[in-house]
Amino acid sequence: MVSRLSFLGVIARVFMWAFLLGLAVVVVYPLLWMVINGFKTNAELFGNPFALPVDWSFDNYRKAWNRGVSDYLTTSVLVTVTSTIATVFVSAWAAYGLTRVDIPLNRTVTALILGGLMLAPTVALVPLVKMFQAMGLYNSFWALLILYTAFRIPFTTFLIRAYMIDLPREVDEAAEMDGAGRWTAFWRITLPMCKPIITSTVLLHILFAWNEYLFAMVFTSGSGVQTLPVGLTSLMSKHGTEFPVVFAGMVIAAVPVVLLFFLGQRYIVRGLADGIGK
Amino acid sequence: MRPRALTTFAAIVGTSVLALAGCAGEPAAKAPAADIAAAPEFSGTLSVLTKFAGDPLSSYFEDIAAEYQRMHPGVKVELIQETDQSIKDKTKTLTASDALPDIYFTWTGNWAENFVRGGRAADLTQVIGPDTPWGRTFGKAALSAFAYDGKYYGVPLYNNGKFMGYNKAAFDKAGIKVPATFEELLAACAPLREAGYEPVTFGNKDGWPALHYLQQLFAYTVPSATLKADFSPKTATLDHPGYVAALKQFKTLVDTCTDTRDGTNGVLYSSAQEKFLNGKAAMYYQEVLEFANVTDKRELTPENFGIFPLPVPQGAGGDPKAIEGAPEGYLINARSPRVALAVDFMKFVTSQENAEKLSAAPYGQPSTVVGAVTAETSGKAVFEGIGMVNQASQLAVWLDTVTVPEVADAWLAGGEALISGSATPEKVLESVRQASASAK
Amino acid sequence: MPVRAIVRRTLGLAWVVPALVLVGVFVYLPLVQNLQFSTLEWDIYSGSQEYIGLDNYRKLLDDPVFWTSFGNNLLYAVISIAFQVFGALVLAALIESIRSERWRRGLRAVYFLPSAISLTVAGLLFYFLYEPNLGPLNHLLRSAGLGELAQAWLGQESTAMTAIIAMSQWQGFGYSTLLFAVAIQRIPADVYGAAAIDGVGPVGRFVHVTLPLVREMTGLMAIVTVSGAFQVFNEVMVMTGGGPNNSTQVLGTWLYRSGFVRNNFGYAAAIATVLFVITLGIALLQLWFTRRRRVEW
Repeated sequence: MVSRLSFLGVIARVFMWAFLLGLAVVVVYPLLWMVINGFKTNAELFGNPFALPVDWSFDNYRKAWNRGVSDYLTTSVLVTVTSTIATVFVSAWAAYGLTRVDIPLNRTVTALILGGLMLAPTVALVPLVKMFQAMGLYNSFWALLILYTAFRIPFTTFLIRAYMIDLPREVDEAAEMDGAGRWTAFWRITLPMCKPIITSTVLLHILFAWNEYLFAMVFTSGSGVQTLPVGLTSLMSKHGTEFPVVFAGMVIAAVPVVLLFFLGQRYIVRGLADGIGK
Repeated sequence: MRPRALTTFAAIVGTSVLALAGCAGEPAAKAPAADIAAAPEFSGTLSVLTKFAGDPLSSYFEDIAAEYQRMHPGVKVELIQETDQSIKDKTKTLTASDALPDIYFTWTGNWAENFVRGGRAADLTQVIGPDTPWGRTFGKAALSAFAYDGKYYGVPLYNNGKFMGYNKAAFDKAGIKVPATFEELLAACAPLREAGYEPVTFGNKDGWPALHYLQQLFAYTVPSATLKADFSPKTATLDHPGYVAALKQFKTLVDTCTDTRDGTNGVLYSSAQEKFLNGKAAMYYQEVLEFANVTDKRELTPENFGIFPLPVPQGAGGDPKAIEGAPEGYLINARSPRVALAVDFMKFVTSQENAEKLSAAPYGQPSTVVGAVTAETSGKAVFEGIGMVNQASQLAVWLDTVTVPEVADAWLAGGEALISGSATPEKVLESVRQASASAK
Repeated sequence: MPVRAIVRRTLGLAWVVPALVLVGVFVYLPLVQNLQFSTLEWDIYSGSQEYIGLDNYRKLLDDPVFWTSFGNNLLYAVISIAFQVFGALVLAALIESIRSERWRRGLRAVYFLPSAISLTVAGLLFYFLYEPNLGPLNHLLRSAGLGELAQAWLGQESTAMTAIIAMSQWQGFGYSTLLFAVAIQRIPADVYGAAAIDGVGPVGRFVHVTLPLVREMTGLMAIVTVSGAFQVFNEVMVMTGGGPNNSTQVLGTWLYRSGFVRNNFGYAAAIATVLFVITLGIALLQLWFTRRRRVEW
C-alpha cells in the first residue's frame, strides 16, 4: 500500500516537473528567439526560423542604435528618471501630509487623491489632448513627464501612506519636541524610515514609465520626444523588411528593465503585493 | 479608502461635473492670414512634416534642410519624418491638437480638402497659380489636383501611380506573356505557381493595400461620373452593379493568385514586397514610388523588372484607360506665422536641381516639375510608369484619401472582410453605403 | 479656535497641494470635460463644435463595432480570469510545494520575465511568432504534422482576437503567479503542518487549506484582472490595430480610431464615458471587497 502511494507520488512529481519546466520553455523560448533574431540577416530570418545565425555580429544592434534607438533610449531614460523623482516626492509629501500633519478636510483630500486610482487613462485621452494643445505642451517631453506623474500619484501615495500609517509616531513626535520643524522631521526621520516602500515605488514607477504606450503614442511625434515603446513601432514601419534590426531594437528596449527586475525583485514583489492586497 | 471617504469622493465628483460641464470648450481662434507673397524673414524655426521616413528617402529632406540652413543661417528647419503608414494617424493627431507644422504632407482628394475647408491650408494662388513664375514650372494637372474652387493650395512634389510589377524571368520560365485582360491575369497564376513562384504577393495587414486594387477595379467597372458622385456622401448612391463585380474580381484574384489567400490580412505590405524583391514571387502590385527598391543588390534586378497597368476585366463598363494614382504634395499651414518663409523653402525644394535629384536614384520619386523626369535621370521603370500616368485618360485618386474618413474606414474594414471571407461583396457594399449615409 | 491655529492648520495643506493639483487638473478635470465633449459633434479640421445632446450615445448603441469591441473586452476578461487568476493560483501552489528554495525562486523569476518587458515588445515579438511567412508557430505545426492548422493567426477574423489574448496570457500570468506565491507564503506553516498530520494529501491540502486562505486574494486578483481587461490598448494597437475587419477592436482602440482616425472626437468621448462607467464600477466593487475583508480579519 505504502509503496503504491509513493509510486503514484513519483508519477505526480514527474508530471509536475515536466509541466513546470515545459512552461518555463514556453516563456523563455520566444525571448531567446528574439535575441537570436537580432543577430541574423534578413535572408536567414525568412529562411528557417529555428536556425542559429551563421555569423554572430552586432551589426543589427549597431544599425538599430544608429537608426533612432539611441534617441528613443535617451528620451525614455530622461522621462523615466524625471517622472520617477517627481512622482515619488510629490506622493511622499502627500502621504506625509495625510498621515502626520493635522490638515483640514483630511478625509476629503485622501478620498480625492486615492480616488484617482479608479480612473482609466484612456477615458481622459481626448480632453487631455485638447488641454495640452492649449498649453502648448503637446509633442513635448513635458507632456509625458506631467502625465506619468499625475496618473501615478494616486497609486504611489496609496503605497507610501499605507506604510507610513504603520510607522510608530513616537520618533517624529520626539523630533518635534526637540524643536525640529516638520520639514526636517520629514526629511531626516520619516523619509529614511520609509526606505523599503520608497524603493518599491521607485522600481514600480520605472517599470511603468519605461513601458507606457498609450500616452507616448498620442502625445509625441518626431524622434526627439518619442520613447522606446513608440519608437519601436516606428522602427518597424520605417525600415520595411529589415526585421532583424527591429529585433535588435526590441532587445535593447527589454534589457534594462529585465536587469532591473532581477536586481530589485524583492522590492518589486513587495510593492506589487501591498498594492493589491492592502 | 474608508466608506465615509467614498461617499465624500462621489459627492465631490458629482458637484464638479455639474460645475464644469457648463463652462468648458470654446472654438479654436483663427489667426490672421499672413501675407504669402511678402519677402520672407530668414529667421526662426520652420517645421516640416514629411512622408519620407526611412531608407533611402529620409536623406532627401535632411540634405535639403541642411543646405537651406547653410544658405540662411538664421533659419532652423525641424523635420518630422513619417512613413506612408504612420503619417495618416500622425497628421490627424497633430490637427486635432492644433499642432500642425508650418509645412505638411498631403494627398489629394478629400484629404487635402479637409484642411482647406478647415482653414488650415494657406491659399497659394498668388504664388503658385498656373500663370505665376513658380506655377509654370509644374505640370498643370499636378497643380490642379490641389485646387479647390479655383484656388491653388498645394505644392505638388511628385507624381504617383499604381502598377503591377512583374519578374520577367518568372514570366519566361512559366511561358506566359503580359496579360491583356484581368481574366488572362487570373489564368496566368496556375502556370506561375507550377514554375515555383507565388503568382501575386500581397500583404494587407494595414488594410489600405486592398483599397488600391479596389479603386483601380472600380475605375474600370463603374462609369467615372457615377464613381465621382459616390465619393461624396451628399451625392452617393453606391448602387452601380460595377461595384459588386469589382469586389468579386478582387476576391477571385486573392484566392487564385496569392499563396496567403484568406490569411492575406496577416501579412505586412513590406514583407510581401520582400518576397517579390527576393525573386520568390512573380508579381507585386506597387506604386511608382516603390520602383526604386528594385536594385542590383537583390535577386530581382532592374533588367528583369517590368510593369503593366492592372489589366481591365472583360466587359467592364467604366473607363479602361484610367490609372489609379495622384500627385502628392505639401500644404502650408494658414495659421503659421512664417508663411512667406515656408513658401520660400518649398520653392527651394522644387527647384530644377532638387527636382532632378528627387527623380533620380536612390529616391526615384518622379517630380512634378516639368522636365525633371527623363529616361536617363530617373531609371527606365519610373520613366515608363510616369509616361503612362501622364497619358492616362484620368487619374483615380486613392480610395482611402478621396472620400471622407468614415467611408474610407468602412472600405478598409470591407476589404479585410472580403479577403478573410467573412462578408460577401454585397454585404461589404451595404456597410459602406451605411457609413456613407451616416456621414452625410 | 484661535486664528493662529487655523492658519497653521491651513498651511499644513501645502504638503498635499502638489498632488491634489496634479491629480485634479490632469485626472479629474479631463474626466469632466469628457462628459461635455461626448455631447458634441466636433470637426477636428475646422475646430467647430456643435451641441447634439445624447446623439453620440444613441449612435453607440447602433454601432456593431462598439458591440464587437465590448464583446472582445469581455472575452479578454473571461480568458484572463481562467489563466491569470485560477491558472496562476494552481501554478503558485505547485511552485510553493517545491522543497528547494532556489528552484522556487528561480521558477517564479522566470515566469515573471515577460511581465518586465513592455507590451509593445511582447506584442511585436508575437506578431512575428504568428507571421505566416517567417513565424516559427506555423513551422512548428507543420513539422508536428499539423500543417492544416497552420494559418495567418492575426490575419483571420476567427483567430486574431484569441491570438492576441494568448499573447497577453503569456505576458501576464507570471505576474499574478508571483502575487499568489506571496499570499501562499503568508499562510502560517503550522496550518499545513496540522493538515499533514491529519493525513491530507497534496490535492486535499490545496483544496482545503490553501484555497480558503487565499480566497480574498483570489477575489481581488479577479477584480484587478477584469479591470485590466477593459483597459486593453497597447497589444491590440501593436499587433493588429483592430483589424482585420475590426474583429480585434476593443473599447480603447475603437475610441482611438473613432477620434483620431475617423475624425469624430465627440463619439470617441462617448465611448470613453462607457469605459469610465465600467472601470469605476469595477473599482467600487474592489473597494467593497477590500472593506469586507478587513471586517472579516
